[in-house]
Amino acid sequence: MPNIREGGVNVTPLIDIVMCLIIFFMLVAKIGIDTGADQRISIPASLQELDIKDMGNTLTLNVVPGPLDQPMITALVGGVVQELKLVDPATGQKPLLNTLKKFRFGHDLKPGGTSDSSDNPEFKVIIRGDEDMGYSYLEPVLITCAQAQVKNVNFNTRKVTQ
Amino acid sequence: MTNDNIMKLQTSKKVHYDSGPNMTPMVDVVMVILIFLMLAGSFVGSEHFLVSNIPFSQSGAGDVKVPPGFIPDEPLDIRVDSPTPDQFIATAGQIRTGDEKVLTAALTKMRQNMNKAGKTDDQIQVKIGPGKKVKYRFLVQVYEAALNAGFKKIAFATSH
Repeated sequence: MPNIREGGVNVTPLIDIVMCLIIFFMLVAKIGIDTGADQRISIPASLQELDIKDMGNTLTLNVVPGPLDQPMITALVGGVVQELKLVDPATGQKPLLNTLKKFRFGHDLKPGGTSDSSDNPEFKVIIRGDEDMGYSYLEPVLITCAQAQVKNVNFNTRKVTQ
Repeated sequence: MTNDNIMKLQTSKKVHYDSGPNMTPMVDVVMVILIFLMLAGSFVGSEHFLVSNIPFSQSGAGDVKVPPGFIPDEPLDIRVDSPTPDQFIATAGQIRTGDEKVLTAALTKMRQNMNKAGKTDDQIQVKIGPGKKVKYRFLVQVYEAALNAGFKKIAFATSH
């Protein structure tokens, strides 16, 4: 065995600290979780402290003022952020309502059913709206949520300190 | 002990053999993981939510058939107007204010009075009725005031 003289710095405390930092970051960081939230939207501020634990059973609706005094709603559906119109003028379909019903009631879009068509009463909607938009843009979204019988609607706000 | 033997003993004390694993590659990998986590992670804490279990309530009686024995909730209407784009006026009963703290205090009193009159918090339905042009941030303030006042059932009504 060759004779190696010990020199340089003792790395043991460094490794201890770095390992602690890694564990910290792994616990607090959210990596790879995409809720479809549009970070460009300036959301309103609030003091209330509440966090949603089960983000897996939620749909985030980004609501901003759109053309013709209609809201422009986008959401992450099927892994892709897409626009969900209130009424599609080309087909007459209601993409937002149908999407909410699909999450709420399954593929049959109506109460009852099993497996793929089973109901999801715990389904939650998160509204991420522009703080300066008028209620006229928010109202149709809330009405559509009510039509889809979504009971739990949450308003995404940013924290402010008192 | 001879001089030669003393010499050998001193030399063996100075030389340390590197036993155990080589830590250098591990430190390299760990540092890379640390930098990745620091750059890629988005942290919890900058945003939160105002929770609503009854998001929307249609104004007006409509023609819904009420089941026998059904006791309707005690309504508390809060009308929200925006005389200028940068302010709101919330009106609930005799209260008329554009300040969230004042509104919270007034709504708390109203809730306590309703509790004294025999209505529990679960039997009171707050309906926020905003105008079409009222900004969303003002609605959040009114909503938050109602939550802070202790009401449990808060809904938005159709616009006026």
